Amino acid sequence: MSETGELLTQNAVGAEAAVRKAGGKRELSEGKKAERKLGLWLCAPAALVMLAVTGWPIIYSIWLSLQRYDLRFPDQQAFVGLENYVTVLGSPYWWQAFGITMMLTVVSVAIELVLGMTLALIMHRTLVGRGLVRTVALIPYGIVTVVAAFSWRYAWQSETGYLADLFAGQTDPLVNFWSSMGIITLAEVWKTTPFMALLLMAGLALVPDDLLKAAQMDGASAWQRFVKVMLPVMKPAILVALLFRTLDAFRIFDNIFVLTQGSQGRSSVSIQAYNNLIKGLNLGIGSTMSVLIFITVAIIAFIFVKLFGTAAPGSDEEGRR
Amino acid sequence: MGERFPGRKHGQRRLIAIAGAVLVAAGALTACGSDSGTTINLYLAPEESFQKVVDKCNAQAGNRYNIVFHKLPRDADGQREQMVRRLAAGDTEVDLLGLDVTSVPEFAEAKWIVEWTGANKQQASEGVLPGPQATATWNGKLYAATKNTNVQLLWYDAALLKQANVAVPTTFDEMIAAAQKLKSMNLPYQVLLHGAQYEGMLVHYNSAVASANGKVISDDGKSVVMDAGAVKGLEVLKKLATAGVTSPSLDNAKEENVQKGFEAAGSQAAFELNWPYVYASIQKNNPERAKNFQYARYPGVNPGQPSRTAIGGFNLAVSAHSKHQAEAFDAALCLRSKESQKYSALADAFAPTIESIYTDESPMDIGGKTKTMREAYPMKEKLLEELKDPAVRPLTPAYQNVSTVLQTHLAPFSDIDLPGVVEKLRKELADALQSKGVLP
Amino acid sequence: MAIQTAPDQDQWTRPSIWTRWGPKARWGLIDILVIAYAIIPVLWIVSLSFKTPSTLSDKSFIPNEWTWDNYINIFKTTDFIQALINSIGIALIATLIAVVLGTMAAYAIARLDFPGKRILVGVSLMIAMFPQVSLVSPLFDMERSLGLFDTWPGLILPYITFALPLAIYTLSAFFREIPWELEKAAKMDGATPGQAFRKVIAPLAAPGVFTTAILVFIFCWNDFLFAISLTSTNESRTVPAALQFFTGASYFEDPTGTTSAAAVIITIPIIIFVLFFQRRIVAGLTSGAVKG
Repeated sequence: MSETGELLTQNAVGAEAAVRKAGGKRELSEGKKAERKLGLWLCAPAALVMLAVTGWPIIYSIWLSLQRYDLRFPDQQAFVGLENYVTVLGSPYWWQAFGITMMLTVVSVAIELVLGMTLALIMHRTLVGRGLVRTVALIPYGIVTVVAAFSWRYAWQSETGYLADLFAGQTDPLVNFWSSMGIITLAEVWKTTPFMALLLMAGLALVPDDLLKAAQMDGASAWQRFVKVMLPVMKPAILVALLFRTLDAFRIFDNIFVLTQGSQGRSSVSIQAYNNLIKGLNLGIGSTMSVLIFITVAIIAFIFVKLFGTAAPGSDEEGRR
Repeated sequence: MGERFPGRKHGQRRLIAIAGAVLVAAGALTACGSDSGTTINLYLAPEESFQKVVDKCNAQAGNRYNIVFHKLPRDADGQREQMVRRLAAGDTEVDLLGLDVTSVPEFAEAKWIVEWTGANKQQASEGVLPGPQATATWNGKLYAATKNTNVQLLWYDAALLKQANVAVPTTFDEMIAAAQKLKSMNLPYQVLLHGAQYEGMLVHYNSAVASANGKVISDDGKSVVMDAGAVKGLEVLKKLATAGVTSPSLDNAKEENVQKGFEAAGSQAAFELNWPYVYASIQKNNPERAKNFQYARYPGVNPGQPSRTAIGGFNLAVSAHSKHQAEAFDAALCLRSKESQKYSALADAFAPTIESIYTDESPMDIGGKTKTMREAYPMKEKLLEELKDPAVRPLTPAYQNVSTVLQTHLAPFSDIDLPGVVEKLRKELADALQSKGVLP
Repeated sequence: MAIQTAPDQDQWTRPSIWTRWGPKARWGLIDILVIAYAIIPVLWIVSLSFKTPSTLSDKSFIPNEWTWDNYINIFKTTDFIQALINSIGIALIATLIAVVLGTMAAYAIARLDFPGKRILVGVSLMIAMFPQVSLVSPLFDMERSLGLFDTWPGLILPYITFALPLAIYTLSAFFREIPWELEKAAKMDGATPGQAFRKVIAPLAAPGVFTTAILVFIFCWNDFLFAISLTSTNESRTVPAALQFFTGASYFEDPTGTTSAAAVIITIPIIIFVLFFQRRIVAGLTSGAVKG
């Protein structure tokens, strides 16, 4: 469950364009009423499903986060106000998981951007086997994350792995803190780089060829052409890709779950919320974490929008023109 | 498979029909058999031959009930997670539960399982070793019937010990010294044990604590003790892990890694701490090495004082949500009867909880071959010796939290932060017992 | 670059070799690197799935002894077959519903003027960004009390929800490509907006709908978090979740071989999609951005 985000913005551009187009082109008032009605009817089922599955649970989640509610101690359920928040925010474990998640997010998104850009240029420019490269690059995108994670786990596991002896260290690479963090990052980067590349490739297609040619004529080097001509044109695509990859990376769960089970201080916030909720059956603490994750994601999105001027999905639609 | 949501299934079928041919096949496979008798749904960890025991009990029950064996994951954490989720959801399709020895208090406290009373209790307790029986009891009431127990031994390569002229170690210190001596002679020397961050690692800790006469949690499961013995347990494990005699994979090793590590060609192992199943395994996988594969009591802590070892195993409990409790009790009694336990012992090397089985030498037919306890369990006296004086892991309804906290601070063994960790453990275990605080 | 390093190369032939063979060879080499990057982890899990138990830990990238046993074994157990049926069934049903609902909504968003459109766009974007783990606890508790826990609908519902934004946006991007004059023409001929949608636009939109269906299917097929949180038995557990619960023949045996075989099986549909519909998928993933 990962790529929705990126898709969204990409297509949001289109959707909004369509919205504008539709808005600008008024139909004759004869069909106006019917059109409104049809529009509402067509959207109603999708809207209802989305609201039922997310809207109510969010409210319920906030409610649960204000309770002491452990399924194993059913008699002790009680309203405790913000006590769960005090507990979670005062816990070194939460902050450790938070730090780990942040670190993984920043490092993997940075690597993805560089590799993704390289891959995008390759897919855009290659003279031989363009279709083949694009096809193959889709494999990491499409493959089930858990399958890929198992492949990495078995590759590094000391009994089975062809990579396990790569670092002739004294500890198992999946146990050692830094090597296991590296492996988690590798698994994330491997899976999502091709997708990042596809998004950036879409941005590359926007760079006018004659502009590049003109720059070349003027004696600009390949690097200068990349920095001065391509990057500015691609900026919106890059920022949007970064925003959604960041939000997506922050939710990291599958890879850590399969590779290390979050043991030895390598929990992400998602893993920790899962553990408190599903293992600990502590709905109060688990929901508190859920709410905190949600708030963090909202803050990240806000920072991107305000600081970098990323095209805010659904907000300043005119601002991107 | 009962029809819990008949409407749902119907709706599903209709959609399946739309969705295409693949799903038509799916519909046929998910279809439930005709509900003629009572189905007893058993959730238990996978055991190779347990289906045979189930079949036998089903035959015995005639038309009264039919036990269906649903396999749970292999690891204790995974098993618990699956059962707890069903029970918390109030699932009436769960009748019988195979609980790990540490889970009974939690399930009893949450009112997910029912008490054993009267004749059932009588029958479930008859001739059962006291250690296993304690794991099925909470607040003085019996909440489960013991199915099998388990206890670890010290396994070693007798040829190596002979070559280096060292005695079979009886304490952790002696074991470390012996391994160091082997290492200095350039012989295989490693001590293999499972030290991955999971429930299994606590078997070693609890054994070491009990052998040092210590306690982590009070007997009533309500307060933290963490006495000198509990600290000693930490020291023992740290010393072992930092003495240069363990394998590099210690911190990621579970039971099977330990066993494979000993059996592998070119193994550097001389000692192994593991369950008795390794005996049959090495006969099959490395017959050459099996010839020198010997066993002794699990190492102790204080010289001259025999170890006390943490017991494992499973207990059968009846779900409070079950609609067929009477039949479930009956089924449980059959599945853990003397005959069934003996069958499991001979076929799958699961140690019985009924004492008399250990001395019962009458042969039994196992898959066309007759076997005796002596053949399957040459080490049975040693096992019984440990089982009669065992350590029981802390019994508390919040065991999962206690276990998680302990695992977090004990893994990896080599990095146990002594003495600072003791205060942290006291504080966090106190929170854990009340299910307060954050699980790492 | 490699070619340029040859120091004693003839001054005159070098440029012509460079232009004739150099770029192609260079790109060919780069292509090979990309291909290796993408498929080595896949080949590794395939290799593991064909190894015999005794060679499983030989750490060799290519099996020394080949066997089909792992595949035979997983298809002998009901656990895997049932999980596969669940995966296929749940993903197909969720895809079907999400695409139908998504098509309706995308058409309305792209073509019709009605109140609340912006809100719908905004809300679905928020859902796409939403940390799914935040929903696990309330959904678990709600499904528990509604009796949806560990059922097909219990998974289908959240899948539809998180697939809908994807479907709506991919589809509305495709809908912009459709020649809407035809719709106008149909309306001139007296068709209602509804008829125009059904008779004229829907057939034209079919390729876009198909592409969207592939993307949504991949998305549902991929899910792990909901699959392990909202299921607990074979009733509804999908393959990604079931992989975690594979068991060896005996209690302590590691199921590496069978896990790998099952992993390969669920990768097959993905490979088929990628091989046959590469262009569509790339178009689906990037259309909005390219034309935006």
